[in-house]
Amino acid sequence: MECKITVNNKTIVAREGGSLLSALQQNGFKIPTLCHMNRFSPTGACRLCVVEVEGKQDLITSCSYPVEEGMKVSTNSQRVIRARKSLVELLLSNHPYDCLYCQRNGHCELQWLAEEMNVKERKYFAGKLSDFPDYSSTSVARDPAKCVLCSRCVRICEEVQLVTAIDFISRGNQTKVNSAFRKGLNVSSCIHCGQCIQVCPTAALVDISHLEKVQAALASGKKVTFAISPSVIASLTAELRLKPKDMVINRLTAALKRLGASMVFDMGTAIDINVMEEARQLAERIQNKEEKLPMLSSCCPSWVRYVGDARPHMSDHLAKVKSPQHIAGSLIKKVYAKDNDIPADDIYTVTVMPCVAKKYESSWEQNTHKGIAEVDSVLTVRELFRLLRSFGLSLEHMEEEKPDAPFSQSSAAAFKPGYSGGKAEAVARELFRIMGGKNKESFRFLQPKNLAGKREIHITIGRNTVGFAWVSSIAEAEKYLRELEDEKRDDIHYLEVMACLAGCAGGGGQPISRGFEQVRTRKKICIDMEKSGKPGHAAENPLAMKLFDKYHFKENMIWEEPE
Amino acid sequence: MESDLEHIFEKFPNGRREDLIPILQTVQDEKGFLSEQVIKDVGKYLDISINKIYGVATFYDNFRFGPVGKYHFRLCHGTACHVAGASTLLRELEKLLKVGTGETDQHGLFSLEVVSCVGACGLAPLVEVNDEYYTNISLDSLKELVKSIREKENNIL
Repeated sequence: MECKITVNNKTIVAREGGSLLSALQQNGFKIPTLCHMNRFSPTGACRLCVVEVEGKQDLITSCSYPVEEGMKVSTNSQRVIRARKSLVELLLSNHPYDCLYCQRNGHCELQWLAEEMNVKERKYFAGKLSDFPDYSSTSVARDPAKCVLCSRCVRICEEVQLVTAIDFISRGNQTKVNSAFRKGLNVSSCIHCGQCIQVCPTAALVDISHLEKVQAALASGKKVTFAISPSVIASLTAELRLKPKDMVINRLTAALKRLGASMVFDMGTAIDINVMEEARQLAERIQNKEEKLPMLSSCCPSWVRYVGDARPHMSDHLAKVKSPQHIAGSLIKKVYAKDNDIPADDIYTVTVMPCVAKKYESSWEQNTHKGIAEVDSVLTVRELFRLLRSFGLSLEHMEEEKPDAPFSQSSAAAFKPGYSGGKAEAVARELFRIMGGKNKESFRFLQPKNLAGKREIHITIGRNTVGFAWVSSIAEAEKYLRELEDEKRDDIHYLEVMACLAGCAGGGGQPISRGFEQVRTRKKICIDMEKSGKPGHAAENPLAMKLFDKYHFKENMIWEEPE
Repeated sequence: MESDLEHIFEKFPNGRREDLIPILQTVQDEKGFLSEQVIKDVGKYLDISINKIYGVATFYDNFRFGPVGKYHFRLCHGTACHVAGASTLLRELEKLLKVGTGETDQHGLFSLEVVSCVGACGLAPLVEVNDEYYTNISLDSLKELVKSIREKENNIL
């Protein structure tokens, strides 16, 4: 029910019973907050959103206070401003002095707040935190000294990803965010999705950077070969506020060539091969009426890890195919190296992904061959920007150059794994081709409005009705799988799961953005890019088709459970 | 693998989230402390992440994660004992027992824990050794107490 409240002597309309903070924000009042996350229950942990309400003796946290008819609120009284400044000063009292060397310098919410509140000196001095930083994981690094205990990472890890790899340990001023038994993330239930990095306001959670390794490789004279994921292109287009037709891939190719890359490839071909192989296996499983249905997509390493950890009995259901990143890696180090007579260890493969879990995936033993890693380094979009910046390159003003042959072609299907539901659609179209359906272009999967939404679609191919479903986030996936098990349903044959909300568009390696606006933009650009006039179908990529037929190298394609 | 906690889980047949703390207490009463394996078993039974359980267990001072010594010292550090000099006694006790607060020595002989008020403020300061109370203690009587235990155990360290 709507009601009227007075804010700073101005009357606004708000929903009665809703959170005061969102009512204020919707009406254009700027309220600072560190712990609030949309879609999550309020915690009132940071207390920065305090406002003064007439008739209340104390300041109240607007995030956890409901709107009441006729309430009189002041968001910028002297008392409120003083309280907020003190809060920031207290947060800074044990914060390290290393802003200049910090990965989040310039993108840090605490830094912004200190600037906004006009904090000019260290007013309170508290002892340094004695907890050790945790660099044990292959993808996520933790530095407890920079933690402000806002609980955003803890909530997203528990409520969205269901794994609770990090949680609050101990109590009071001893409270810390840590993994189970304080043993380090590498032996925790962490699935390496990197959502905690996305929500962290400071640099308490950052990715394990491969930037220095890449720079060293560039300086060493090795043939540094980049493979660019199409969802990175969508992300760059969104970040630079360009249009899909601006062909950022060409600008990026030129920029990477300038900083010393030997080759720049488009990962599209690898994605096409991955889609074709998944569809082939799916067709095989349906035709043989195998038990291993629904087939689970295996291109998201976080999901693969979760299945191995929490649902080991379903490991067989995963598609036994390398992920696009490692198809690209093995194509470069085996096919390309062999065709051009280059020793495989002279090539240094760098992939650029919207994901930190890909760093973890690149460390799996089955993704190496005779001691040579298929992918040597994985850069996130953030690291890519940093790399370009350090070489003084900007994508805004850059000439264009096409990615190198042979892996320069891709079908429009290559953009599909960039968002939740896309992979399922690409596999469905390919399955249509294999199983002899007609009118393969005639169906499109409708995307749900809800970012994490699950969706099911049944299509008839020949004499079979095949059920496709997709969800994003582990919590939704687990819920959906339990639903399938409880109802003993067998009409779903393919389930696509991406661990991040909205799929790779909301990946842990994307530029850090608060809220879901940027995620929606990236997803929209991915969908727009599919319409770029490329063939719409994985098998219509002639190169992918040729490679897929020629290198039906099963034993290298086989995917195994990581330890 | 069958967990050796089955007989405890049987007392909580529904296995709900709110059974967590009673289960942990029962387990600690029986085993003396909460080992990693125990936490994993409880997590499996209640379908709760082990990190969540670890977080809950570390919130409360009552839960221990390592075995206690043969002589478990619990020094009261409530308000009355604090005023009566419990901080000094704690420093002295750490030196005498050669263990830190919350730790157990390598021989498994002594362990030291600081507890909040035990409700005997009129007798402050006090220390409890294996459920036996030593009241109105001073630095000297504390030294005497530790010495007598060491002599009894023939431990000259």
